[in-house]
Amino acid sequence: MTSCPMSQEAKCPMSQEDQALLESGSMTDPIISARPRPYYAAMREHDPVHWDEKLGMYLISRYQDILTIQQDPITFSVNKGYHTQQAKGFQEEFQDILKRDGGGYFPDAIMSDPPYHTRIRKLMENAFTAHRVKELEPRITKVVADLIDSIADTGAADAIHDFSVPLTIRIICEQLGLDWDIKDRIQRWSIAVTAQIGRMQDREQMVAHAREICELQQYLIGKMKERKDDPREDMISDLVHAKIQTDDGTVETLTFEEAVSLVRALLIAGNETTATALGNLFYILATQPEIAQLLKDSVDDDRLLNRFVEELLRIEPPVRGLSRMTTREVELGGKTLPAGAHLLLMYASANDQADVFPEPRSFDINRPNIGRHVSFGGGVHRCVGLALARMEIKVAAREIVRRMDNIRLAIPVEDITYLPTVATQSIERLPITFTRR
Amino acid sequence: MVKVTFVEPNGTERHVSNAEEGQSLMEVGKANGIDGILADCGGACSCATCHVFVDPQWWERVGPPDEVEFAMLDMVADVAQDMSRLSCQVKINAQLDGLRVTVAPASDF
Repeated sequence: MTSCPMSQEAKCPMSQEDQALLESGSMTDPIISARPRPYYAAMREHDPVHWDEKLGMYLISRYQDILTIQQDPITFSVNKGYHTQQAKGFQEEFQDILKRDGGGYFPDAIMSDPPYHTRIRKLMENAFTAHRVKELEPRITKVVADLIDSIADTGAADAIHDFSVPLTIRIICEQLGLDWDIKDRIQRWSIAVTAQIGRMQDREQMVAHAREICELQQYLIGKMKERKDDPREDMISDLVHAKIQTDDGTVETLTFEEAVSLVRALLIAGNETTATALGNLFYILATQPEIAQLLKDSVDDDRLLNRFVEELLRIEPPVRGLSRMTTREVELGGKTLPAGAHLLLMYASANDQADVFPEPRSFDINRPNIGRHVSFGGGVHRCVGLALARMEIKVAAREIVRRMDNIRLAIPVEDITYLPTVATQSIERLPITFTRR
Repeated sequence: MVKVTFVEPNGTERHVSNAEEGQSLMEVGKANGIDGILADCGGACSCATCHVFVDPQWWERVGPPDEVEFAMLDMVADVAQDMSRLSCQVKINAQLDGLRVTVAPASDF
């Protein structure tokens, strides 16, 4: 679509393309889902709280509306939004499979609402402070450098399978204290868990994914039992032995169900999204040589490098959309939503809003408000691992550009495919060529 | 107990006298419902939603941000000033009795 020169309040007449997109488009359409920006732009301009009939959800496309939702976690429930999304269409069967073969059905404790959420969240925050993450940087730099050195001379690779996925898996294994020999299973497990909020699996796929999740839970439960008796310096031990002191001085621990769900959440959230971000990094370096040059010029300046990472996250958010459900009737973006309305927050759309980020498709590391993007969400549910994610991406960007040069796509850009999911926008395969620097 | 004055983004002055040594300034702000102290990340120095401007006369006693905090303040350069701090990184102590800070506006949007 062409951009509208008028302000958003004074609506431009709708082009036929926009009208067709809004009337018959859907996030479930693989073509739209792979290249959704025209759909987002049509929504932002003409119908910011847009009912996607096939998905059965309202798509929230404007920056301010997303901020409003994030600041009111009681009216806009993550607990209801997330757990309604999970395995939608097959929920009972999904839960039965997990109860029968996976050690239990464990609702996601972090995907909850205050005040319960406040207790769970407090428990996870200490592990992820920016200062703790800073201490991890030398070790992660070594992991990244070793992996790049192992492929830099080969001249060609799949940036997803040979780099982004193994790198994030190696880091998360170290942090959680998992055995390196499960590395091949982690990617399958991640996809299986993420698919439950992706809304694009049929029944057969749901059953296959549920089996993967059973295997994942059995593995994690085994590890948790080991750490119960023999704690080590890792995050599984931290969670299994976590104690929280509430305001009135009582000491609480996590229930077994909560702990399983949190270990599972850390494994998946820390893996899939960061791998997606690294894939996006390679995609941009391979398709926009001037940005590769910008990275080369910024590599020894920590401030510029931080800004590079932040702009990468704004322009290509790994998480496409997470859900909420209204707990009462509420006005949003000029519409009255009933209680029980299921919403999908379209982060990439908000990050593309021109009155917040001028010339939104231009990669500009000098934006004064560069940190205002919503790629990590916001409010009480803002990503708990954000400092770690930023650091992993920064280290990867720095070590890639120090060791690899002339990164190019080995396939036409239009042949790039994405995972079939509404939850993330993840490149499936990214064959590239490069030279050693 | 330590006294702190927060000037909220709309100009309202809020005087609180229940700040305890060892608490962060952000925790004091949250406990007293100070407008604009959101602290999304919970005090992890990772989100810049507890951003305050320290009154010049207090700057020396509060001190400048470290490099991790500076990096975060740089992400909100649209509103940051010379005496910006993230309140989650400012620990209350007896030296700060009477501290006065202005809460930064959320965004220029």
